[in-house]
Amino acid sequence: MAGFPPPGATILGDAAAGKKIDEVGKKKVDYFNLPCPIPFEELQREAIMSLKPELFEGMRFDFTKGLNPKFSLSHSVFMGPMELPSQGAETLKIPTAHYEFGANFIDPKLMLIGRVLTDGRLTARVKCDLTDDLSLKANAQLSNEPNMSHGMVNFDYKGKDYRTQLQLGDGSLFGASYIQSITPHLSMGGEVFWAGQHLKSGVGYAARYENDKMVATGQVASTGMVAMSYVQKVSEKVSLATDFMYNYLSRDVTASVGYDYILRQARLRGKLDSNGCASAFLEERLNMGLNFVLSAEIDHKKSDYKFGFGLTVG
Amino acid sequence: MASRISLKPSSGNNKGANGAAERSTVQVLKEWSAWSLEKSKVIAHYGFIPLIIVIGMNSEPKPQLYQLLSPI
Repeated sequence: MAGFPPPGATILGDAAAGKKIDEVGKKKVDYFNLPCPIPFEELQREAIMSLKPELFEGMRFDFTKGLNPKFSLSHSVFMGPMELPSQGAETLKIPTAHYEFGANFIDPKLMLIGRVLTDGRLTARVKCDLTDDLSLKANAQLSNEPNMSHGMVNFDYKGKDYRTQLQLGDGSLFGASYIQSITPHLSMGGEVFWAGQHLKSGVGYAARYENDKMVATGQVASTGMVAMSYVQKVSEKVSLATDFMYNYLSRDVTASVGYDYILRQARLRGKLDSNGCASAFLEERLNMGLNFVLSAEIDHKKSDYKFGFGLTVG
Repeated sequence: MASRISLKPSSGNNKGANGAAERSTVQVLKEWSAWSLEKSKVIAHYGFIPLIIVIGMNSEPKPQLYQLLSPI
């Protein structure tokens, strides 16, 4: 850069002078080339991954067998108490055991995941890229009992620096969401939904600010929900997360703090809640393809203690 | 409103072209769509996992049939 004459000195023009200011001076944000934002439903994904692991109670064994790089079958056995919704303060638990068979086909353009339980319930997920920007997602839970089946279809369109989604569900559920990148670090969006069967409708807004070390999100909805989350990456292996949820209609508050240790052979996530609930989840890699899982959740307010262990193969 | 006093259709659907005595086209359409929704739900329930297995067994590299059942 030393050999160049100072900007404005030549007759050659504004274009050259402008480019030099861009290179030499501070980095100028190019507002026409913003990155594509995260999809609206995944706005809080770092916080959800750190604070809400899949806690379970009982014994779990998962075996995944790959026949192909794209096609695999999975067998899963679960034995343990299942919680029933109960009106009183006591938790009602019934010991159950089930076997679940699943088939996955994962292709860059088409993804099909199906799981069926011993009582006949089917969970199906389909994701198909219709074009480069438009993709179709569908998921359904079908069961043999009448009126217990649900399905939902999403159409996602990805623009240059925005994403939109249209959602159609059974029971005349309609939803639409839009999220836009405002700066390279900040993105904001909104969503609308209308539930025909319950005659409810709502509007929500969300914002997400992220940089290399942290992610902060905030969400407000007309259903009364206010949710904020903050995740800080303290080092390569450790991140801390905190979450705050407030319902201004029912005056319900929940705040939680948690940590997420991603080590070479293990992943440990722990959380402490304002409802008096402490939980931890450990996934340890014993060998190539063999993972050992431990889950614990202690609810002091309800005196409910849940411990689970499991093995994941493949 | 004087002409509408007699004969209210029992099904409550006034949009059909025909009168109260015959089933209107909209009603027939509704019945067919409900029937087809029921049938497609049953087809999806029984056929989704076999569909995934058929698509998977025909993808490259083709796996062998015994690999479906053996635990190796």
